[in-house]
Amino acid sequence: MSTHSRPRTPNPHLGAYYGIVTSAFLSLVIVLALFEQLGWQQMWLAPAMLIAPLLLYLAIAVAARTLNVEDFFVSGRRVPPVFNGLVMAAIVVGGTGFFAYAGTVFFLGFDALAIGLGWAAGMLAATVLFAPYLRKAGAYTVPAFLGHRFRSRPLRIMASLLQLPPMVLLLAAEMKVAALVATHFLPITYPLAVAAVGTIIAGIAIAGGMRALTWCGSAEFVVSALGLAVPLIVVSIMLTNLPAPQLTYGETFAPLQKSEITAGLTPAQPEELATALPAAAPRANTKPFLQPFGAIAMPDFLTLFLCLTLGTAALPSLLVRSGVTSSVTDQRRSGAWAALFVALFAATAPALAAFVKLLMFQDIAQFPATVPPTWLSDLSALKLVFARDVNGDGTIEAAELLIARDGVTLSLPAAAGLPFICILLTAAGGIAIALAAAAAHLFTLAGSAAEDLIRVVGREMTDLPRLVVAWVAIAAAALGTAVFLAIADVDLLQAAVTAFAFAAATFFSVLLLAIWWQRCTRLGAVLAMATGFAVMGGEIAFGDAFGSGQARFTTVIAALIGAILALIVGVAASLLGGAPSPAEAKYFEELRDPGGEALYDRAQRRAAARP
Amino acid sequence: MAEARDRHQRRTLILAAAVLASVLAAVLIVVTTAADLNQYRALRFPLGFYLLAQGLLIVIVAVSFWFSRRQDQIDEERDESEEL
Repeated sequence: MSTHSRPRTPNPHLGAYYGIVTSAFLSLVIVLALFEQLGWQQMWLAPAMLIAPLLLYLAIAVAARTLNVEDFFVSGRRVPPVFNGLVMAAIVVGGTGFFAYAGTVFFLGFDALAIGLGWAAGMLAATVLFAPYLRKAGAYTVPAFLGHRFRSRPLRIMASLLQLPPMVLLLAAEMKVAALVATHFLPITYPLAVAAVGTIIAGIAIAGGMRALTWCGSAEFVVSALGLAVPLIVVSIMLTNLPAPQLTYGETFAPLQKSEITAGLTPAQPEELATALPAAAPRANTKPFLQPFGAIAMPDFLTLFLCLTLGTAALPSLLVRSGVTSSVTDQRRSGAWAALFVALFAATAPALAAFVKLLMFQDIAQFPATVPPTWLSDLSALKLVFARDVNGDGTIEAAELLIARDGVTLSLPAAAGLPFICILLTAAGGIAIALAAAAAHLFTLAGSAAEDLIRVVGREMTDLPRLVVAWVAIAAAALGTAVFLAIADVDLLQAAVTAFAFAAATFFSVLLLAIWWQRCTRLGAVLAMATGFAVMGGEIAFGDAFGSGQARFTTVIAALIGAILALIVGVAASLLGGAPSPAEAKYFEELRDPGGEALYDRAQRRAAARP
Repeated sequence: MAEARDRHQRRTLILAAAVLASVLAAVLIVVTTAADLNQYRALRFPLGFYLLAQGLLIVIVAVSFWFSRRQDQIDEERDESEEL
């Protein structure tokens, strides 16, 4: 086993490398902006703007290729906290956040803030409760940690199977959003785009495993931050004269409220949570932006917040990154950085939504229906916005302007009349963050299948076969999800919320017990996971998961009930069953000691030293 | 040894509980009073909206960094007392 082949110091030139990545991307944008002014056609600009960054990510993946097991599964345990924070934030937000969350704020205004708040609070909860201890344990996957903690192979296999639903849902959602955005601008069909996205993320994950994910993910986060920030800052200067949208969008509220009234908006009544979250299909914006609890009632707001908090804290693809930093201290720091980056995004999305709403509603009041503003025809051509003067009064009203939820982010540059290159820049940013998140979910899923399902059967595997199994699992998972996407119609927001709900119900309680309660036994852990999963599974199978159906027993409420029941069952089963074995007690004792080497690495070293 | 360990575990638990409870309490208070707070203004935002959209996020980030430093101190003190 060559686990300790290299020292654990990060590359000192990382800052310079990412400076180069950032400036290379910015130069590409500037050059293409010049070409656009010189009269380049949109059909040439789009491939250049969208495909060049993909080549950059693939180049980074090739540079980060590895055949070393430790590099492949935990990025060599030498990622600096800031970079790990970047990648973790990209995983939590993802393409779903970039497009669907911004769209949700656009439609629900005030009421949608529960989602962004839940992500940030979940990052904090993961940092306080789980991540540092998982770093000390050093297992390559979350199921492997549970297996080591309770000295149980069946438990490990069970955990690996139970993490399939949340990971597949998130992976499918992220692959779909990247493919959809590509089809808007490139002359390719949706199935082809899905295949291309699957190939790219599988290629990145196979080339360098977690190492490639770390370095591609950091670059992708930079690109997505620029894609979101540059058009937004320009619009902010146009509307408020200051380049800090998060601070100044409050100024736009007065004109926004005025134009909402002109467009015919009246205060909304709260709906049931299951139907309150907007679906992807184009719909009219009927809720005033600032009205509190007009679509989601206050208790539902809190439920949604708590579900996302617990789900983020226990998200397997996030926690699997707990092994990549060089120490327990660094792991905590990277969690704080990730909370900062998530919070920055969550504070920016409402600014974007408010600007889009103001620009659109101001304009439709002024233009007669026969002469629509340019942005309206531009966005209609991209199939993001539809407007028709239904009641024939000569103007477009709010109820007659249908907007696609996931197209709101892309609508900003167009609605503000910015050059086409800005729309492409936003699209490139969205694709980037979707790829970063998709690759992370894919690797979590496939890495766990390889390590916890296949390798558990054949224990005596050496480095290369171990990697080959992981490569095959990655390719198979990417292919399987692409096929799943071809059959099933996945709604980004619903898929993401359901995935976070699954993570909250299945894994939050069991991790809490495993890490914070010495007396928790194998039986307690198994039953806790099974209970949480059964409640969520029952909700999906028998309750009506996505609205329209009976009662208020929706996905997010089921997740909280599942998590609480799991905790109760876990505690009861642990107390009623026998005491934990001495080996479990010893593992717990060492897990709680922040000093010393990662437990998994020490076990590997001792196994290698044995004759 | 055992005494230092128990002390360390106790302080770790108290810190974790305090951090999470205070953030949760802040969120609960702001959400339940948000509609009333909206009559006040902060940076030209309605206050309730501002706290949910940014104020609480700032609190969460600040608490994250503070927690990470405080827990480091607690861990270091355990190391020192175990070396004695």
